[in-house]
Amino acid sequence: MLVWLFIGLIALLVLPPVWTLLRSSFSERLPDGTEFFTLNNYALLLSEGRFFTSAFNSIVFSLASTLVSLFLGGAVAWLVERTDVPFKRLAWFTTIVSLGTPFILYVTAWSYILGRAGPLNDIYRFVTGSSETLFEVNTLSGMIVIEGFIWAPLAFLLLSATFRAANAEMEEAARMSGATVIQTIMRISLKLAFPAILAFSLFAFILNLEAFEVPALIGMPGRVNVLTTDVYQAVKEMPPRVGFASAFSVVMLFIISALLYFYGRISRYAERFATITGKGYRPRPIALGRARWAFSAIILLNFAVTLLLPLIAMIWMSVMPYVQPMRLHALSFATLQNFGTVLTSRYYLSLVTTTLIVAAVSATVTMIITLLAGWLAARRAPGGQAIDQLVVIPLIFPGVVLGVALLEVALRLPFPLYGTMWLIVLAFIIHYMPFGMRYTYAGVLQIHPELEQAARVSGARGWSILSRILVPLLAPALASGWLFIFLLASKEMSLPLLLAGPSSQTISVAMFDLWGNGQIGEVAALGLLWAVLMTLFGVAFFVISRRQTSMTFGV
Amino acid sequence: MKFMHNLVVVAGLLAATMTAKAEDQALIDAAKAEGQVVWYSGLIVRQVVTPIKEAFEKKYGITVNSVSMASQEAALRILNEGRANNIQGDVFDGTAPLSAAMEAGLVGQYVPQEAADYPAELKDPNGYWTGQIVQVTSPAINTGLVSAADAPKTFEDLLDPKWKGKMAWSSSEEIAGPPGFIGNVLSYMGEEKGMAYLEKLSQQQIANVPSNMRVVLDQGIAGQYPLVLSILNYHAAISAAQGAPVEWLKLESSVFTFGTVQMLKNAPHPNAAKLFLEFLLSDEGQQVIADAGYIPASPRVKAKDPTLKPEEGKFAVTVISSETFAENKDKWVGIYRKLFK
Repeated sequence: MLVWLFIGLIALLVLPPVWTLLRSSFSERLPDGTEFFTLNNYALLLSEGRFFTSAFNSIVFSLASTLVSLFLGGAVAWLVERTDVPFKRLAWFTTIVSLGTPFILYVTAWSYILGRAGPLNDIYRFVTGSSETLFEVNTLSGMIVIEGFIWAPLAFLLLSATFRAANAEMEEAARMSGATVIQTIMRISLKLAFPAILAFSLFAFILNLEAFEVPALIGMPGRVNVLTTDVYQAVKEMPPRVGFASAFSVVMLFIISALLYFYGRISRYAERFATITGKGYRPRPIALGRARWAFSAIILLNFAVTLLLPLIAMIWMSVMPYVQPMRLHALSFATLQNFGTVLTSRYYLSLVTTTLIVAAVSATVTMIITLLAGWLAARRAPGGQAIDQLVVIPLIFPGVVLGVALLEVALRLPFPLYGTMWLIVLAFIIHYMPFGMRYTYAGVLQIHPELEQAARVSGARGWSILSRILVPLLAPALASGWLFIFLLASKEMSLPLLLAGPSSQTISVAMFDLWGNGQIGEVAALGLLWAVLMTLFGVAFFVISRRQTSMTFGV
Repeated sequence: MKFMHNLVVVAGLLAATMTAKAEDQALIDAAKAEGQVVWYSGLIVRQVVTPIKEAFEKKYGITVNSVSMASQEAALRILNEGRANNIQGDVFDGTAPLSAAMEAGLVGQYVPQEAADYPAELKDPNGYWTGQIVQVTSPAINTGLVSAADAPKTFEDLLDPKWKGKMAWSSSEEIAGPPGFIGNVLSYMGEEKGMAYLEKLSQQQIANVPSNMRVVLDQGIAGQYPLVLSILNYHAAISAAQGAPVEWLKLESSVFTFGTVQMLKNAPHPNAAKLFLEFLLSDEGQQVIADAGYIPASPRVKAKDPTLKPEEGKFAVTVISSETFAENKDKWVGIYRKLFK
């Protein structure tokens, strides 16, 4: 009974926007507001002359960026969780800071670093004496690299939760039977983590397939078109053609359902991979021996590309009165004025509070919902399948489409939600449910049902199984998920831009305002200070959750 | 006789001011009763929105609830509010959301007294909108990468092979973006020659930067594109004053347009909205615009750099108002999409 109520709740969150999406994908609005039925939006999607080139580019872009994130984030996650590699703290620090760094700043920093007048091409010209460029950022490779770096922290967070909870006995057995570290990784660690890796890959692939910002900001100027480029254009038109964007989302809904169907088949035998069983359980790191310094290069590489390089670029931008090439003589222009402006402004201070409340409430509620959802789905409880399908639906919404759908919903509600921060919270919960679900679902899959069965035999009921068995064992996954959503929500731009009211403006709205008005130095300063604040939060949170985890797992 | 004439004019003006004052008091009282005004703004918050908000609140004791948003979001919100019959905003600025709101019949009418002496082309006779910022769009070069001798001086110069792949403009389909540039070329050269020119220009592989004119200019300053087409000349001047290597160019003809401000039909606080429009267009409001480095629309308030205006800067322009644009939008945007995307 409770399960069905829960399904009803999720449906209530997810389905109204879907309904709006479907309706707007099949309708065209005249300027005076009247609507009529049309298939035009779908016809336009296919009639696009370059459809096949765009589709091909989309697949290459999504696949390659997924691999970049997977390799970087996944390798680092395994090293940090399962071995005695040095610089573990640095890996966590890198992830937290880069997740706390506003997206717009990150893309700006990377397009500067790889741009024609950026340091990479500068160095090339200096070394070779040529006046050409080594690398053009506005290409498919430029897009792949930047998008890949953006989601590497997600790969790290998702997979580190998996690796941490993996039973080390099997790796140890392999090592004792004479397997090398590489063999152990290939034949034990990767296979055990297979469902989680697959889940991440699929998830990242979908995110990349739907990405708007990098294809638009990096690809469009170089005329590299992907499927979302046209949709982005349609949304930017005046008035925005939301119907066209919605049609795209509906098509995506089908593609994602197909992908999930196959994913479901693969992970059907997920129990095989369950490694947290009732037996003695104590993960122990693998000793890499002298190779540990060689492996640390991967951690350092990850640190350099996801944090250090963009950070240097951001600091450079924040102390310069305008964006210019990195030259020694330019240092005479350096000023801390931008930081002063940000720190002394009452305006920014008021935004910080709202942003923190919105992000924390969204992350908490999302994790509570997806804890239940992930458990029911992973245990194939009655209705579990339906829950899995429902929770993943919000993945198909581009931010603008979800925003417009919620605008419509909120304006028609009998109580005043429009323009309050709770509307943004609602949007974030819907938007981030699939993210939370990836953490909890993968987490539950690793816990052998025998633990719950034992509890049930001993007389425990649903609620106490959940709170006394699952939650403590899932703590690492829950904590990573919470932190991830908190950090993403606090910098997400498209939803607050559309939904904020006079008293619910968030920090990202301010950043967009500055960026669009040429105050790049001030955006950089604000973004850096924001990243510092987020890092403090992240580190504090991390320390606390680590302590909790150690108590459960006895490490 | 001359003296008499002047006297009559002065007396007339005095009478006008006095009636205005009397009306103002009624308006102020009604606005105060409403207590607040909701302003959807795309203007820069710290430099423009906050000073105006604080000054207005101090002067009238009426709260300004400003919501900062880009033009696309402003349009989406206004259209949605209109469709739900639940208008929440009172005043909004920006030409792009204006066109969307006009089409949907959501713009309110009010002729601000403060704009009585504004040039006729800067205001709508029916009071749907009033210009508050004059905008001149032109190309600009990165002076660190392009010498004065190499800088294009005519439209023809833009066809030089050395610019191939080196130019950028915004992909925004608005007056200040490529459609305005196209309109300017067609009106300056005439249809036939203009089209032939645009065909040739399209071979130059101009990068479409999916953002606004300011961001395009920033990419020019950063050195990504040494030559950017169609940016706002005051942005170039603001950056140049900070030491950035940028200079805007006067070709044969530049685009002259303006950012508008207007109120919503069925605004929940109509009197506060009217009073706020008056304030934005008054010397006080316009001074804030001028201080930020923009060109105020009011003839009574001087721009920081007067040479940004055609008369003082001595350059030729094509005037493109919201209406001209609405009439030609399909054609110009069509040319842009066909040739340049």
